[in-house]
Amino acid sequence: MKCHSSQNQKPISDEKIKILLMGNPNVGKSVIFSKLTGVHVDSSNYVGTTVDYTIGDVNFGRQQGVMIDVPGVYSLEATSEAEKVAVSLLEEGADVIICVLDATHLERNLDLAYQLKEYPIPIVYSLNLVDVAKRQGINIDAKKLSEELGAPVIPTVAIKNTGLMDLLRTSMKLAKEERIPRPKLTEEERWKKIKDIVAKVQTKVDSGPTFIEILEDKTIQPWPGIPLALLVLIISLGVVIGGGKALRALVLLPLVRDVIQPFLTNLVSLVVPPGIFRNLLVGDYGILIIGIEWPFALILPYVFLFYIVFSFLEDSGYMPRIGVLADGLLRRIGIQGGNIIPIMLGYGCAVPAILGSRVANTYKERIIVAALVSFAVPCASQSAAFMSLLGDRSILALASVYLLSILVALLVGIIINKMVPGKSQPMLLEVPNLLWPDKDAFKKKLKLRMKNFLIDAEGPMLLGIVIASVIAETGILNEFSRLIGPLVEGWLGLPKEASLSLLLGIMRRELAVLPLLELNLTTLQLIVGSVIALFYLPCLSVFAVLAKEFSLKVALLIGLATTTSAFLFGGIINQLGRLILGVM
Amino acid sequence: MTLAFGNKRAKYRVLKLPDSHFLKALGLRKGTEFTLECKHPFKGPVVVKVGCRCIAIDYDIARDIEVEEVS
Repeated sequence: MKCHSSQNQKPISDEKIKILLMGNPNVGKSVIFSKLTGVHVDSSNYVGTTVDYTIGDVNFGRQQGVMIDVPGVYSLEATSEAEKVAVSLLEEGADVIICVLDATHLERNLDLAYQLKEYPIPIVYSLNLVDVAKRQGINIDAKKLSEELGAPVIPTVAIKNTGLMDLLRTSMKLAKEERIPRPKLTEEERWKKIKDIVAKVQTKVDSGPTFIEILEDKTIQPWPGIPLALLVLIISLGVVIGGGKALRALVLLPLVRDVIQPFLTNLVSLVVPPGIFRNLLVGDYGILIIGIEWPFALILPYVFLFYIVFSFLEDSGYMPRIGVLADGLLRRIGIQGGNIIPIMLGYGCAVPAILGSRVANTYKERIIVAALVSFAVPCASQSAAFMSLLGDRSILALASVYLLSILVALLVGIIINKMVPGKSQPMLLEVPNLLWPDKDAFKKKLKLRMKNFLIDAEGPMLLGIVIASVIAETGILNEFSRLIGPLVEGWLGLPKEASLSLLLGIMRRELAVLPLLELNLTTLQLIVGSVIALFYLPCLSVFAVLAKEFSLKVALLIGLATTTSAFLFGGIINQLGRLILGVM
Repeated sequence: MTLAFGNKRAKYRVLKLPDSHFLKALGLRKGTEFTLECKHPFKGPVVVKVGCRCIAIDYDIARDIEVEEVS
């Protein structure tokens, strides 16, 4: 029940050379990984933690190997989950380590480089980002550095493929070689040694700031950083909404409605006689009709574009800047600025968002992020459904639903912050350089995310559609509608058929919206329906992950609170709306 | 003075800082010289530049870092 690829460790064959790719965060490790590994890449979860790492095949001549992209760490003190995973992977053993060093910040990177030498595994150092360092007036003598470290140092520009073959060749050559570990140094001794090395190998010429450096500077300042961030978010939203709408209207809907559906309807009509069974397949709610239209024509284009935009912002190093800019505001609701990243990821899918909040935050912050995401952050599938429902009718209605979601998110944060004892984790982070994302790494990440979406989200959605078809075509819906009629028709002002949304919404969030498409509702009814869907129960996968990550009690409490709010807000909007429009 | 009360674009040297491994790993140790890039509103983080890298430091941590201005 996860919208997230996560599988347990796979045994690695003994004949294959095992390479650990290690380094500080944001040094270009993942780019090196995606350039050196083949098409077969998997994301794995380290047993007993929430830390994921990627593993891929790597071949050089006749030598075969596997490369593990170890989570980026600053040290091996094992104080964070990522550090614990890095230490465990080292203790499991490997044939060779590729340690990636950032040439623009050699001093800080050498701390990890030195700690790795305490393990009996051969090391090759990749001195990456030498082009950026050069632009910044930094020059590092790789030969001298290699002498000081007692291991090969290969200058690389991973994004341009420079030096990578040399790096791989040297790694394969070193693999299986015996290596005697260096004795452990104290922290003070290590830093003294590092200072000496940097003085020997690095020269720096002061040059004026480059365009990228000016941009890096501007995007981290409150002014103009905050307005720029808002602009970036508006443009991102425009790309997802506009692009998704265009894809849907110009390509996918005509293809599904004019080609695929008539073809399937004709085909089924030839084979299946008229009656319930034919209706189940190609009726208004037929499995082959909405089972293709909803997931592929209405949802997929928005999800695809969301992940393109999100991955771009993530890989360009811009995301942590948004975290820094949002810190002052998010502190008011008890969470640190960095939590903006899992919250934004929640606009894709709540499951990785809730899991993603686990790595660096306190219990209090995790509860707040999980509740915010479950309550008021529509996932990409649900957003797509909103856009299909409201986008064509009223952009204003669409905007008000989102505005309401943000207000409620803030309110939920304020309330939980007051209710749950504890403190939030202070912000302490390195702001990465801004980079143009690497094409290969970007494509691999997007592929993995879309694969996860198709497997984990589309499956339950198709199942929901099958149930919808059965319910709608067999008359069960009428019974259910009669039961909850007073609530749906009286308090919420929706037609009784809308009860299908409530029934299916338990399974997937977008299924609380999509049945409303077929009902020819007024704008007020559309807003009411959307608001109910927005705050309604989190989907089954989210419920499961909440129960797993926190407890069944927390999951039930969140579910109860969201559902109550859904009917409360939906009803209030309906009653107020009718009062204002004078239709009561 | 403490870092939280420093001025934008001024250069400082660390005199005393909390015993945090992470601060050291990010390059902030006793004697490190850096530039204060900016301070964020509502007691948001203080951003400093050590070498070529920016580090965002929580306001509460910045209050515990003693610094002196260098010319």
